[in-house]
Amino acid sequence: MKLEGVAAFLTGGASGLGAASARVLAEAGAIVALLDRDMALAEPLAKELGGVAVQCDVADHESLVAAVEQATAAIGPPRIAVNFAGIDVSQKIASRSKGPHPIESMQREIDINVIGTLDGCALFSEQMMNLEPFEDGERGVLINIASGAAFNGPPGQSVYAASKRAVAGATLPLARDLAPYGIRVMTIAPGFFKTPLAEGVDDKHIDKLISMVPFPKRWGDPRELGELVKFICQNRMLNGETIQIDAAMR
Amino acid sequence: MDIQGLTAVVTGGASGIGAGVTRVLAKAGAKVAILDRNETLGKAMAEEVGGAAFVCDVANDESVQTALAQAREALGTARILVNCAGIDTARKITSRKTGAHAIGPMKRVVDVNLTGTLICCAHASHAMLDLEPLDDDGERGVLINIASIAAFNAPNGQAVYGASKAGVVGAAVPLARDLARYGIRVMTIAPGLFDTPLAGTMDDALTAKVLRNALFPKRKGRPEELGNLVQHICENQMLNASTIRLDAGFF
Repeated sequence: MKLEGVAAFLTGGASGLGAASARVLAEAGAIVALLDRDMALAEPLAKELGGVAVQCDVADHESLVAAVEQATAAIGPPRIAVNFAGIDVSQKIASRSKGPHPIESMQREIDINVIGTLDGCALFSEQMMNLEPFEDGERGVLINIASGAAFNGPPGQSVYAASKRAVAGATLPLARDLAPYGIRVMTIAPGFFKTPLAEGVDDKHIDKLISMVPFPKRWGDPRELGELVKFICQNRMLNGETIQIDAAMR
Repeated sequence: MDIQGLTAVVTGGASGIGAGVTRVLAKAGAKVAILDRNETLGKAMAEEVGGAAFVCDVANDESVQTALAQAREALGTARILVNCAGIDTARKITSRKTGAHAIGPMKRVVDVNLTGTLICCAHASHAMLDLEPLDDDGERGVLINIASIAAFNAPNGQAVYGASKAGVVGAAVPLARDLARYGIRVMTIAPGLFDTPLAGTMDDALTAKVLRNALFPKRKGRPEELGNLVQHICENQMLNASTIRLDAGFF
């Protein structure tokens, strides 16, 4: 797909990987809608990129429906939708000192990372279905963000890893559901990237994590992930696949 | 890495997917050395893209060493290696009609697709070890191997081909681990059905049947689309050790 002038919706688009990808897509000519909980971050970025900011909690169906309506009214139906919105409540499933993982934070993480992503796919693809097809009959592309933890989760990330593995698991059936409409579905599983989510981790732990990365031995720059998002949009032969982008961190 | 001005070696670079890779890399500014068994096609491709061609049988260690030395002499040490050379002799492992799969072609497919890929990785990466790093991260080079979706889900008649390509996928992570300390990345691409001479051996009916398994788009991939992925992998340093299926969702 050519990006010039097409509408791109990004959940969690106001910070971290989402913000960097919004920037890359906007620079390539896309009109971006940033669907985010944090309007203080979303509004200035949207303004800078010539797009729109829409308040949205992806775990709340009504909120997502309203956000899709608002974004569509502002910039038209999406050709590209990227589900970045995600949280990580690192906590062991049970430990002597903290007891069992509380159900509330467990539920919240699954609601945002899994349900939020699937509901986003449902509502975004519904908008794409009636669009005029491009070359090859392509109508749109959905990109979901899993994580390296989906395949190789460290301690304290059982809930996060489960939620992200679920996202990776949905890729193929989503692509099968939407192929008749010319909508592709791809998933990206990032390793360590320099995002607000990762910056919450303490320095000692970060040094340890980076020392485990084969090459390059550094955080990923969110822009590098944005470049992969852009490339996926442009290359139609990519469909139904999960790409690990993690500097060989396995 | 920025491809402009770098040397790239493309095995099997004179036809099919390899030709697509050669053209895209040359367009991005790389000096391309084409290592191919077919001298005529190799020379024509080299002329087209302003590169150089060297006769090479990737299954033969000496031939690979000679061709890589010639390429180094002509264009400088390669920073990029793309292993496209591959063959397929579609044949069932046994059948009443044709008997047991003959050992000759069985060995040849494994020698070219699997051993040949590993030989080229070994010699090309060895030559990269002493190169100056290209950037502050210490990147010296990138190896890209071409597997196939047959590595994951091969139809009947492709036990040997599927096994050889699965071997290439299996090598991806340990190759990346071996070479990480030298700043050399290793990536693998598993293409679906592409518009190549290899795929051209299937008749139209079989091609249509195979393409029914592609989700979208329901057409053969263009070699240029695979070349574009090779270029993106070269340029995106965070991609390492992964195998990327480029197959329009082929299951």
